[in-house]
Amino acid sequence: MGASGEFHDQIIAILPKLRVQALALTRNRAAAEDLVQDAACNALSAHESFIPGTNFAAWMHRILRNRFISNLRKRRDTTDIDDVPSSAFSTEAPHEDRLALKELGKAMNRLPADQREALVMVVVHGMSYEALAESTGCAVGTAKSRVFRARRQLEAWLMGEPEGEASRGAARLGRSPGAVRTDRVATPARRGPVAAM
Amino acid sequence: MAQRKDKSIPDKPPKRKKYDSAFDLWLQRSLHNMFDEVASEPLPEELLRLIEEDRKK
Repeated sequence: MGASGEFHDQIIAILPKLRVQALALTRNRAAAEDLVQDAACNALSAHESFIPGTNFAAWMHRILRNRFISNLRKRRDTTDIDDVPSSAFSTEAPHEDRLALKELGKAMNRLPADQREALVMVVVHGMSYEALAESTGCAVGTAKSRVFRARRQLEAWLMGEPEGEASRGAARLGRSPGAVRTDRVATPARRGPVAAM
Repeated sequence: MAQRKDKSIPDKPPKRKKYDSAFDLWLQRSLHNMFDEVASEPLPEELLRLIEEDRKK
């Protein structure tokens, strides 16, 4: 099989992971599928720019991410922020667990897109921070910070952390206490464009 | 410029058998619950056809 055949096989092989990344970014199944297809088309068009032997996964993840950002800039985001992956409801989990997953979905939707993406790629894909940094075009420290902040924020929202503790946590991360939301997930989330990445 | 090491953030993501808290364990399991099925769903035929058509060029 020539190099070209390997390239196409690599695209097919990584599609499942791209779907997860796309869903983490868009929070909408239909938008995620469109994003993956757009990214695949971009990759096929940019075939000649990929250097065989280099990190194909990181290259492909960056293409999808850049396409997501490009789409955001072109149009106002109309994503339904309450759209939770259907898999959250497809398990045999007890009613209480499904409720908890729904709350997690809402909380995830409230995270900045870059933190949500980072958390999903580390936890679901098992990526290292170095791989995450390369896939998202940032420094390793930035990648670590996004994951750490996402976990910290989710815990604060879902565990009902007292406002003082959440503020102190934000202060340790170098953020102003006022920037940290400490209200429970049940509070209707703000609709509108996805938070700036 | 050398990056200053932030010791408050672990170097590696927690492994499956080591968690900082019960919340981390629950979060990991829940995220897998939410996203694993998406990754295992059949790929869209249209997308596969598009890739195969490009392969033939």
